[in-house]
Amino acid sequence: MGIVIAVISGKGGVGKTTATANLGLGIAQNGKKCVVVDFDIGQRNLDMILGLENRVVYDLVQVMDEEASIKQALIKSKVNANLHFLAASQSKDKTVLRSNKVEKLIAQLKQDFDFVILDSPAGIESGFEHTIEFADAAIVIVNPEVSSIRDADRAIGILDSKSQKVKEGKEVAKYVIINRIVAEMVQRGEMLKSEDILEILNIKLLGKVPEDRGVIDASNQGKPVILDKNSIAGQAYSRIAGRLCGQKIDMKDIESSDTGLFKKLAGIFH
Amino acid sequence: MQSNQYSIKVYETSIKDEAKFMTFFDVNYTLFKDHLIVIQGELSQTIKTYLEQKSLNYLHNVNLPKGRTRKALEKEWEEQQVQSVISQQIMESELSKLSDRLQNNLTVLDQMIRSGRELNIEGDLLLLNRVNSGATITTTGNLIITQLVEGAIRCYGNFMMLTASPKAHIMFHGVEVENEFLENRLNRVELKNSEIIITPVLEKEINWAS
Repeated sequence: MGIVIAVISGKGGVGKTTATANLGLGIAQNGKKCVVVDFDIGQRNLDMILGLENRVVYDLVQVMDEEASIKQALIKSKVNANLHFLAASQSKDKTVLRSNKVEKLIAQLKQDFDFVILDSPAGIESGFEHTIEFADAAIVIVNPEVSSIRDADRAIGILDSKSQKVKEGKEVAKYVIINRIVAEMVQRGEMLKSEDILEILNIKLLGKVPEDRGVIDASNQGKPVILDKNSIAGQAYSRIAGRLCGQKIDMKDIESSDTGLFKKLAGIFH
Repeated sequence: MQSNQYSIKVYETSIKDEAKFMTFFDVNYTLFKDHLIVIQGELSQTIKTYLEQKSLNYLHNVNLPKGRTRKALEKEWEEQQVQSVISQQIMESELSKLSDRLQNNLTVLDQMIRSGRELNIEGDLLLLNRVNSGATITTTGNLIITQLVEGAIRCYGNFMMLTASPKAHIMFHGVEVENEFLENRLNRVELKNSEIIITPVLEKEINWAS
Protein backbone atom coordinates (compact mmCIF):
# COMPACT_ATOMS: atom_id res chain seq x y z
CA MET A 1 0.00 0.00 0.00
CA GLY A 2 1.34 3.33 -0.99
CA ILE A 3 1.12 6.66 0.75
CA VAL A 4 -1.11 9.47 -0.53
CA ILE A 5 0.34 12.95 -0.32
CA ALA A 6 -1.64 16.10 -1.15
CA VAL A 7 0.37 19.12 -2.25
CA ILE A 8 -1.50 22.21 -1.09
CA SER A 9 -0.86 25.92 -0.57
CA GLY A 10 -4.02 27.96 -0.24
CA LYS A 11 -2.60 30.79 -2.31
CA GLY A 12 -2.03 30.33 -6.02
CA GLY A 13 1.24 30.77 -7.83
CA VAL A 14 3.54 29.70 -5.04
CA GLY A 15 4.86 26.67 -6.90
CA LYS A 16 2.54 23.76 -6.08
CA THR A 17 2.55 22.23 -9.54
CA THR A 18 6.27 22.75 -10.02
CA ALA A 19 6.92 21.13 -6.65
CA THR A 20 4.60 18.21 -7.48
CA ALA A 21 6.36 17.55 -10.78
CA ASN A 22 9.82 17.75 -9.25
CA LEU A 23 9.05 15.70 -6.17
CA GLY A 24 7.34 13.05 -8.31
CA LEU A 25 10.38 12.78 -10.50
CA GLY A 26 12.72 12.89 -7.50
CA ILE A 27 10.88 10.03 -5.84
CA ALA A 28 11.00 8.05 -9.07
CA GLN A 29 14.75 8.69 -9.26
CA ASN A 30 15.00 7.09 -5.84
CA GLY A 31 13.61 3.88 -7.33
CA LYS A 32 10.07 4.18 -5.96
CA LYS A 33 6.97 3.81 -8.08
CA CYS A 34 5.20 7.13 -8.08
CA VAL A 35 2.11 8.61 -9.68
CA VAL A 36 1.36 12.31 -9.83
CA VAL A 37 -2.29 13.25 -10.22
CA ASP A 38 -3.47 16.65 -11.37
CA PHE A 39 -6.53 17.54 -9.28
CA ASP A 40 -6.82 21.02 -10.70
CA ILE A 41 -9.87 20.15 -12.81
CA GLY A 42 -10.47 22.74 -15.49
CA GLN A 43 -7.00 24.22 -15.29
CA ARG A 44 -4.68 21.45 -16.31
CA ASN A 45 -1.01 22.42 -15.91
CA LEU A 46 0.98 19.48 -14.63
CA ASP A 47 1.07 17.78 -18.04
CA MET A 48 2.95 20.73 -19.52
CA ILE A 49 5.48 20.94 -16.72
CA LEU A 50 6.18 17.22 -17.04
CA GLY A 51 6.47 17.56 -20.80
CA LEU A 52 3.60 15.11 -21.39
CA GLU A 53 1.15 17.52 -22.98
CA ASN A 54 0.79 15.62 -26.23
CA ARG A 55 0.32 12.24 -24.57
CA VAL A 56 -2.89 12.97 -22.72
CA VAL A 57 -5.78 10.90 -24.10
CA TYR A 58 -7.98 10.17 -21.09
CA ASP A 59 -8.27 12.22 -17.95
CA LEU A 60 -9.10 11.80 -14.29
CA VAL A 61 -12.78 12.63 -14.67
CA GLN A 62 -13.22 10.05 -17.43
CA VAL A 63 -11.64 7.42 -15.19
CA MET A 64 -13.91 8.35 -12.32
CA ASP A 65 -16.94 8.21 -14.60
CA GLU A 66 -15.72 4.83 -15.85
CA GLU A 67 -15.41 6.01 -19.42
CA ALA A 68 -11.83 4.82 -19.36
CA SER A 69 -9.79 2.46 -17.21
CA ILE A 70 -6.93 3.64 -15.00
CA LYS A 71 -4.51 1.71 -17.19
CA GLN A 72 -5.65 3.60 -20.26
CA ALA A 73 -5.41 6.97 -18.56
CA LEU A 74 -2.02 6.57 -16.84
CA ILE A 75 0.83 8.10 -18.78
CA LYS A 76 4.36 6.87 -18.27
CA SER A 77 7.04 9.55 -18.07
CA LYS A 78 9.62 9.71 -20.85
CA VAL A 79 12.48 10.42 -18.47
CA ASN A 80 11.84 7.89 -15.73
CA ALA A 81 9.91 4.65 -15.98
CA ASN A 82 8.95 4.79 -12.29
CA LEU A 83 6.99 8.00 -12.77
CA HIS A 84 3.39 7.97 -13.96
CA PHE A 85 0.95 10.76 -14.53
CA LEU A 86 -2.82 11.13 -14.45
CA ALA A 87 -4.13 14.27 -16.13
CA ALA A 88 -6.94 16.56 -15.04
CA SER A 89 -9.78 17.37 -17.33
CA GLN A 90 -9.33 20.67 -19.08
CA SER A 91 -12.95 21.13 -20.16
CA LYS A 92 -14.95 20.23 -17.04
CA ASP A 93 -14.83 22.10 -13.75
CA LYS A 94 -14.18 21.26 -10.12
CA THR A 95 -17.81 20.60 -9.26
CA VAL A 96 -17.78 17.28 -11.15
CA LEU A 97 -15.75 15.62 -8.37
CA ARG A 98 -17.62 13.33 -5.97
CA SER A 99 -16.22 12.03 -2.72
CA ASN A 100 -17.02 8.35 -3.30
CA LYS A 101 -15.47 8.41 -6.77
CA VAL A 102 -12.35 10.16 -5.54
CA GLU A 103 -12.03 7.63 -2.73
CA LYS A 104 -12.31 4.72 -5.15
CA LEU A 105 -9.73 6.15 -7.54
CA ILE A 106 -7.24 6.85 -4.77
CA ALA A 107 -7.70 3.38 -3.30
CA GLN A 108 -6.89 1.87 -6.70
CA LEU A 109 -3.79 4.01 -7.18
CA LYS A 110 -2.58 3.20 -3.68
CA GLN A 111 -2.41 -0.46 -4.56
CA ASP A 112 -0.18 0.00 -7.57
CA PHE A 113 2.14 2.77 -6.43
CA ASP A 114 4.47 3.54 -3.51
CA PHE A 115 3.65 7.23 -3.69
CA VAL A 116 0.47 8.90 -4.91
CA ILE A 117 0.98 12.66 -5.14
CA LEU A 118 -2.06 14.85 -5.64
CA ASP A 119 -1.59 18.35 -7.01
CA SER A 120 -4.30 20.44 -5.38
CA PRO A 121 -5.94 23.44 -7.03
CA ALA A 122 -5.33 26.83 -5.42
CA GLY A 123 -7.97 28.15 -3.08
CA ILE A 124 -10.00 26.24 -0.53
CA GLU A 125 -13.07 25.31 -2.53
CA SER A 126 -14.49 21.85 -3.24
CA GLY A 127 -11.58 20.88 -5.51
CA PHE A 128 -9.16 21.47 -2.67
CA GLU A 129 -11.36 19.63 -0.20
CA HIS A 130 -11.52 16.57 -2.45
CA THR A 131 -7.74 16.57 -2.78
CA ILE A 132 -7.14 16.52 0.96
CA GLU A 133 -10.06 14.31 1.91
CA PHE A 134 -8.31 10.96 1.46
CA ALA A 135 -4.69 12.02 1.85
CA ASP A 136 -2.39 10.41 4.42
CA ALA A 137 -0.08 13.39 4.43
CA ALA A 138 0.00 16.94 3.14
CA ILE A 139 2.87 19.02 1.87
CA VAL A 140 2.18 22.71 2.20
CA ILE A 141 4.05 24.93 -0.22
CA VAL A 142 4.63 28.50 0.95
CA ASN A 143 6.56 31.53 -0.22
CA PRO A 144 8.28 33.67 2.42
CA GLU A 145 5.60 36.37 2.39
CA VAL A 146 2.67 37.12 4.67
CA SER A 147 -0.21 36.50 2.24
CA SER A 148 1.08 33.05 1.34
CA ILE A 149 1.54 32.19 5.03
CA ARG A 150 -1.96 33.26 6.00
CA ASP A 151 -3.56 31.31 3.12
CA ALA A 152 -1.48 28.26 4.01
CA ASP A 153 -2.55 28.60 7.62
CA ARG A 154 -6.17 28.63 6.48
CA ALA A 155 -5.63 25.59 4.25
CA ILE A 156 -4.05 23.67 7.14
CA GLY A 157 -7.02 24.59 9.31
CA ILE A 158 -9.43 23.13 6.74
CA LEU A 159 -7.23 20.06 6.35
CA ASP A 160 -7.41 19.51 10.09
CA SER A 161 -11.20 19.60 10.06
CA LYS A 162 -12.22 18.01 6.76
CA SER A 163 -9.73 15.19 6.21
CA GLN A 164 -11.06 11.65 6.43
CA LYS A 165 -8.17 10.60 8.65
CA VAL A 166 -8.93 13.34 11.16
CA LYS A 167 -12.60 12.31 11.18
CA GLU A 168 -11.44 8.80 12.08
CA GLY A 169 -9.51 10.27 14.98
CA LYS A 170 -6.08 9.89 13.37
CA GLU A 171 -3.70 12.62 12.41
CA VAL A 172 -2.67 13.78 8.94
CA ALA A 173 1.07 14.29 8.70
CA LYS A 174 1.78 17.87 7.65
CA TYR A 175 4.99 19.21 6.19
CA VAL A 176 5.98 22.56 4.79
CA ILE A 177 8.28 23.43 1.91
CA ILE A 178 9.40 27.03 1.82
CA ASN A 179 9.75 27.88 -1.84
CA ARG A 180 11.45 30.73 -3.69
CA ILE A 181 13.75 31.90 -0.89
CA VAL A 182 16.06 34.76 -1.82
CA ALA A 183 18.90 34.66 0.69
CA GLU A 184 19.85 38.33 0.29
CA MET A 185 16.27 39.44 0.92
CA VAL A 186 15.98 37.28 4.02
CA GLN A 187 19.21 38.77 5.34
CA ARG A 188 17.99 42.29 4.67
CA GLY A 189 14.78 41.46 6.53
CA GLU A 190 12.62 41.89 3.42
CA MET A 191 11.53 38.25 3.41
CA LEU A 192 10.16 36.22 6.29
CA LYS A 193 12.66 34.02 8.05
CA SER A 194 12.06 30.26 8.13
CA GLU A 195 11.90 30.27 11.92
CA ASP A 196 9.07 32.83 11.85
CA ILE A 197 7.15 30.85 9.24
CA LEU A 198 7.52 27.63 11.24
CA GLU A 199 6.39 29.41 14.39
CA ILE A 200 3.21 30.62 12.70
CA LEU A 201 2.35 27.39 10.89
CA ASN A 202 3.66 25.02 13.56
CA ILE A 203 4.28 22.09 11.22
CA LYS A 204 7.45 20.18 10.30
CA LEU A 205 9.87 21.61 7.77
CA LEU A 206 10.45 19.30 4.82
CA GLY A 207 12.79 21.56 2.90
CA LYS A 208 13.72 24.97 1.61
CA VAL A 209 13.92 25.76 -2.08
CA PRO A 210 15.85 28.82 -3.23
CA GLU A 211 14.59 31.13 -5.98
CA ASP A 212 16.08 29.94 -9.24
CA ARG A 213 15.57 31.56 -12.64
CA GLY A 214 16.05 28.17 -14.28
CA VAL A 215 12.72 26.91 -12.95
CA ILE A 216 10.57 28.88 -15.41
CA ASP A 217 12.57 27.78 -18.41
CA ALA A 218 12.55 24.19 -17.18
CA SER A 219 8.75 24.32 -16.83
CA ASN A 220 8.32 25.86 -20.26
CA GLN A 221 10.40 23.12 -21.81
CA GLY A 222 8.59 20.40 -19.90
CA LYS A 223 11.78 19.21 -18.21
CA PRO A 224 11.43 19.55 -14.44
CA VAL A 225 14.35 21.45 -12.92
CA ILE A 226 15.39 18.44 -10.82
CA LEU A 227 16.89 17.01 -14.02
CA ASP A 228 19.38 19.89 -14.07
CA LYS A 229 22.16 18.80 -11.73
CA ASN A 230 23.59 22.34 -11.61
CA SER A 231 20.37 24.06 -10.62
CA ILE A 232 20.16 25.06 -6.94
CA ALA A 233 16.37 24.58 -6.92
CA GLY A 234 16.80 21.19 -8.58
CA GLN A 235 19.30 20.15 -5.91
CA ALA A 236 16.88 21.29 -3.22
CA TYR A 237 14.09 19.16 -4.72
CA SER A 238 16.46 16.18 -4.87
CA ARG A 239 17.16 16.54 -1.16
CA ILE A 240 13.45 16.80 -0.36
CA ALA A 241 12.62 13.74 -2.50
CA GLY A 242 15.37 11.85 -0.66
CA ARG A 243 13.85 12.81 2.69
CA LEU A 244 10.42 11.63 1.50
CA CYS A 245 11.98 8.28 0.62
CA GLY A 246 13.29 7.93 4.15
CA GLN A 247 16.88 9.09 3.73
CA LYS A 248 18.48 11.24 6.39
CA ILE A 249 19.55 14.41 4.63
CA ASP A 250 20.55 17.47 6.63
CA MET A 251 18.69 20.72 6.09
CA LYS A 252 20.89 22.98 3.99
CA ASP A 253 21.11 26.56 5.15
CA ILE A 254 20.21 28.36 1.95
CA GLU A 255 19.33 31.56 3.76
CA SER A 256 22.89 32.57 4.60
CA SER A 257 23.84 32.43 0.97
CA ASP A 258 27.22 31.78 -0.57
CA THR A 259 26.25 33.65 -3.67
CA GLY A 260 26.42 37.17 -2.24
CA LEU A 261 28.90 39.56 -3.79
CA PHE A 262 30.89 39.79 -0.59
CA LYS A 263 31.22 36.04 -0.31
CA LYS A 264 32.23 35.82 -3.96
CA LEU A 265 34.92 38.41 -3.40
CA ALA A 266 36.06 36.68 -0.26
CA GLY A 267 36.24 33.45 -2.26
CA ILE A 268 38.78 34.95 -4.63
CA PHE A 269 41.27 35.43 -1.81
CA HIS A 270 41.03 31.92 -0.45
CA MET B 1 13.96 67.66 11.49
CA GLN B 2 17.44 66.54 10.71
CA SER B 3 19.80 65.76 13.53
CA ASN B 4 23.06 63.99 14.13
CA GLN B 5 24.41 62.24 17.14
CA TYR B 6 28.08 62.35 18.12
CA SER B 7 30.17 61.01 20.91
CA ILE B 8 32.57 63.62 22.20
CA LYS B 9 35.17 63.67 24.93
CA VAL B 10 34.40 65.65 28.00
CA TYR B 11 36.90 66.81 30.58
CA GLU B 12 35.22 67.63 33.85
CA THR B 13 37.08 69.57 36.50
CA SER B 14 36.82 72.17 39.22
CA ILE B 15 39.36 74.89 39.74
CA LYS B 16 41.20 75.39 43.01
CA ASP B 17 44.43 76.99 41.84
CA GLU B 18 43.99 79.17 38.77
CA ALA B 19 47.70 79.46 37.92
CA LYS B 20 48.16 75.71 38.16
CA PHE B 21 45.07 75.14 35.98
CA MET B 22 46.39 77.42 33.27
CA THR B 23 49.84 75.83 33.27
CA PHE B 24 48.26 72.39 33.06
CA PHE B 25 46.17 73.44 30.07
CA ASP B 26 49.13 75.16 28.38
CA VAL B 27 51.23 72.02 28.63
CA ASN B 28 48.48 69.67 27.54
CA TYR B 29 46.79 71.95 25.01
CA THR B 30 46.95 69.43 22.16
CA LEU B 31 45.15 66.92 24.35
CA PHE B 32 42.37 69.26 25.30
CA LYS B 33 41.72 71.22 22.14
CA ASP B 34 39.07 68.76 20.93
CA HIS B 35 37.54 68.19 24.35
CA LEU B 36 34.54 69.82 25.85
CA ILE B 37 35.63 71.31 29.14
CA VAL B 38 33.11 71.24 31.92
CA ILE B 39 33.93 73.36 34.93
CA GLN B 40 32.08 72.67 38.10
CA GLY B 41 32.16 75.15 40.97
CA GLU B 42 33.51 78.64 40.68
CA LEU B 43 34.65 80.10 37.40
CA SER B 44 36.48 83.43 37.50
CA GLN B 45 36.70 86.02 34.73
CA THR B 46 40.43 85.31 34.33
CA ILE B 47 39.82 81.69 33.49
CA LYS B 48 36.93 82.59 31.20
CA THR B 49 39.15 84.94 29.22
CA TYR B 50 41.92 82.34 29.19
CA LEU B 51 39.65 79.61 27.79
CA GLU B 52 38.21 81.96 25.19
CA GLN B 53 41.68 83.07 24.08
CA LYS B 54 42.63 79.45 23.57
CA SER B 55 39.27 78.96 21.82
CA LEU B 56 38.45 76.02 24.01
CA ASN B 57 34.80 74.99 24.29
CA TYR B 58 33.55 74.98 27.81
CA LEU B 59 30.44 74.72 29.91
CA HIS B 60 29.97 75.93 33.43
CA ASN B 61 28.10 74.08 36.16
CA VAL B 62 26.08 71.62 34.14
CA ASN B 63 24.81 68.21 35.10
CA LEU B 64 26.25 65.73 32.66
CA PRO B 65 24.33 62.63 31.66
CA LYS B 66 25.69 59.60 33.39
CA GLY B 67 28.44 57.90 31.43
CA ARG B 68 29.01 54.25 32.07
CA THR B 69 32.05 52.10 31.82
CA ARG B 70 31.86 48.74 30.10
CA LYS B 71 31.96 47.06 33.47
CA ALA B 72 28.99 49.05 34.71
CA LEU B 73 27.10 48.14 31.55
CA GLU B 74 27.82 44.47 32.06
CA LYS B 75 26.67 44.70 35.62
CA GLU B 76 23.47 46.37 34.49
CA TRP B 77 22.93 43.63 31.98
CA GLU B 78 23.33 40.99 34.66
CA GLU B 79 20.77 42.77 36.77
CA GLN B 80 18.48 42.80 33.77
CA GLN B 81 18.76 39.04 33.52
CA VAL B 82 17.90 38.64 37.16
CA GLN B 83 14.99 40.95 36.46
CA SER B 84 13.72 38.72 33.67
CA VAL B 85 13.79 35.70 36.00
CA ILE B 86 11.81 37.73 38.47
CA SER B 87 9.39 38.88 35.79
CA GLN B 88 8.87 35.25 34.78
CA GLN B 89 7.83 34.61 38.37
CA ILE B 90 5.58 37.66 38.36
CA MET B 91 3.93 36.40 35.20
CA GLU B 92 3.35 32.97 36.67
CA SER B 93 1.88 34.32 39.86
CA GLU B 94 -0.27 36.76 37.90
CA LEU B 95 -1.50 33.95 35.71
CA SER B 96 -2.41 31.74 38.62
CA LYS B 97 -4.05 34.66 40.40
CA LEU B 98 -6.17 35.53 37.39
CA SER B 99 -6.90 31.97 36.37
CA ASP B 100 -8.48 31.55 39.78
CA ARG B 101 -10.95 34.15 38.64
CA LEU B 102 -11.73 32.17 35.48
CA GLN B 103 -14.58 30.06 36.60
CA ASN B 104 -17.82 30.72 34.81
CA ASN B 105 -18.09 27.91 32.28
CA LEU B 106 -14.34 27.69 31.66
CA THR B 107 -12.94 26.31 28.40
CA VAL B 108 -9.26 25.40 28.32
CA LEU B 109 -7.69 24.97 24.88
CA ASP B 110 -4.19 24.10 23.81
CA GLN B 111 -4.46 24.32 20.05
CA MET B 112 -3.33 26.82 17.48
CA ILE B 113 -6.16 29.00 16.30
CA ARG B 114 -5.42 29.13 12.61
CA SER B 115 -6.48 31.67 10.01
CA GLY B 116 -10.16 31.57 9.14
CA ARG B 117 -11.20 29.91 12.39
CA GLU B 118 -14.00 31.60 14.30
CA LEU B 119 -14.18 30.57 17.88
CA ASN B 120 -17.25 31.61 19.86
CA ILE B 121 -16.96 30.80 23.53
CA GLU B 122 -19.83 31.05 25.98
CA GLY B 123 -18.07 31.82 29.25
CA ASP B 124 -14.36 32.03 30.04
CA LEU B 125 -11.48 30.88 27.89
CA LEU B 126 -7.91 29.96 28.78
CA LEU B 127 -5.94 29.50 25.57
CA LEU B 128 -2.41 28.16 25.78
CA ASN B 129 -1.45 28.61 22.15
CA ARG B 130 -1.20 31.30 19.52
CA VAL B 131 -3.93 33.03 17.51
CA ASN B 132 -2.87 33.47 13.90
CA SER B 133 -3.67 36.33 11.59
CA GLY B 134 -7.18 35.97 10.14
CA ALA B 135 -8.65 34.05 13.08
CA THR B 136 -11.35 35.47 15.37
CA ILE B 137 -12.10 34.63 18.99
CA THR B 138 -15.20 35.90 20.76
CA THR B 139 -15.82 35.22 24.44
CA THR B 140 -18.76 36.26 26.55
CA GLY B 141 -16.59 35.79 29.62
CA ASN B 142 -13.03 36.43 30.67
CA LEU B 143 -10.10 35.58 28.47
CA ILE B 144 -6.45 34.66 28.97
CA ILE B 145 -4.15 33.89 26.06
CA THR B 146 -0.59 32.98 26.94
CA GLN B 147 0.92 33.13 23.45
CA LEU B 148 1.08 35.80 20.76
CA VAL B 149 -2.19 37.07 19.26
CA GLU B 150 -2.09 38.10 15.60
CA GLY B 151 -5.80 37.70 14.88
CA ALA B 152 -8.96 39.36 16.14
CA ILE B 153 -10.28 39.22 19.71
CA ARG B 154 -13.75 40.18 20.96
CA CYS B 155 -14.01 39.88 24.71
CA TYR B 156 -17.06 40.73 26.81
CA GLY B 157 -15.80 39.54 30.19
CA ASN B 158 -14.57 41.42 33.21
CA PHE B 159 -10.97 41.12 32.14
CA MET B 160 -8.65 39.73 29.50
CA MET B 161 -4.94 39.13 29.54
CA LEU B 162 -2.90 38.76 26.37
CA THR B 163 0.04 39.77 24.21
CA ALA B 164 -0.91 41.35 20.91
CA SER B 165 1.22 41.74 17.81
CA PRO B 166 0.83 45.02 15.89
CA LYS B 167 -1.30 43.07 13.36
CA ALA B 168 -3.90 42.06 15.94
CA HIS B 169 -7.36 43.60 16.25
CA ILE B 170 -8.48 43.63 19.86
CA MET B 171 -11.91 44.73 21.06
CA PHE B 172 -13.02 44.76 24.66
CA HIS B 173 -16.74 45.33 25.22
CA GLY B 174 -17.02 46.68 21.70
CA VAL B 175 -14.24 49.21 22.27
CA GLU B 176 -11.18 48.91 20.10
CA VAL B 177 -8.03 48.69 22.20
CA GLU B 178 -5.08 50.38 20.49
CA ASN B 179 -2.31 47.92 19.80
CA GLU B 180 0.32 50.28 21.11
CA PHE B 181 -1.13 49.82 24.59
CA LEU B 182 -0.73 46.09 24.26
CA GLU B 183 2.86 45.84 23.14
CA ASN B 184 4.16 44.59 26.44
CA ARG B 185 4.90 40.94 26.99
CA LEU B 186 1.61 40.46 28.82
CA ASN B 187 -1.18 42.95 29.38
CA ARG B 188 -4.22 42.95 31.57
CA VAL B 189 -7.30 44.77 30.29
CA GLU B 190 -10.05 45.24 32.86
CA LEU B 191 -13.39 46.88 33.17
CA LYS B 192 -13.56 48.78 36.44
CA ASN B 193 -16.59 51.02 37.08
CA SER B 194 -17.20 51.13 33.33
CA GLU B 195 -13.68 52.36 32.70
CA ILE B 196 -11.26 50.25 30.66
CA ILE B 197 -7.93 49.95 32.44
CA ILE B 198 -4.88 48.51 30.75
CA THR B 199 -2.01 47.36 32.95
CA PRO B 200 1.22 45.93 31.64
CA VAL B 201 1.92 42.75 33.58
CA LEU B 202 5.28 42.17 31.99
CA GLU B 203 7.43 44.74 30.24
CA LYS B 204 8.49 44.24 26.68
CA GLU B 205 11.48 41.96 26.44
CA ILE B 206 14.64 43.76 25.48
CA ASN B 207 17.02 41.83 23.34
CA TRP B 208 20.45 42.75 24.65
CA ALA B 209 22.28 40.12 22.72
CA SER B 210 21.70 41.67 19.30
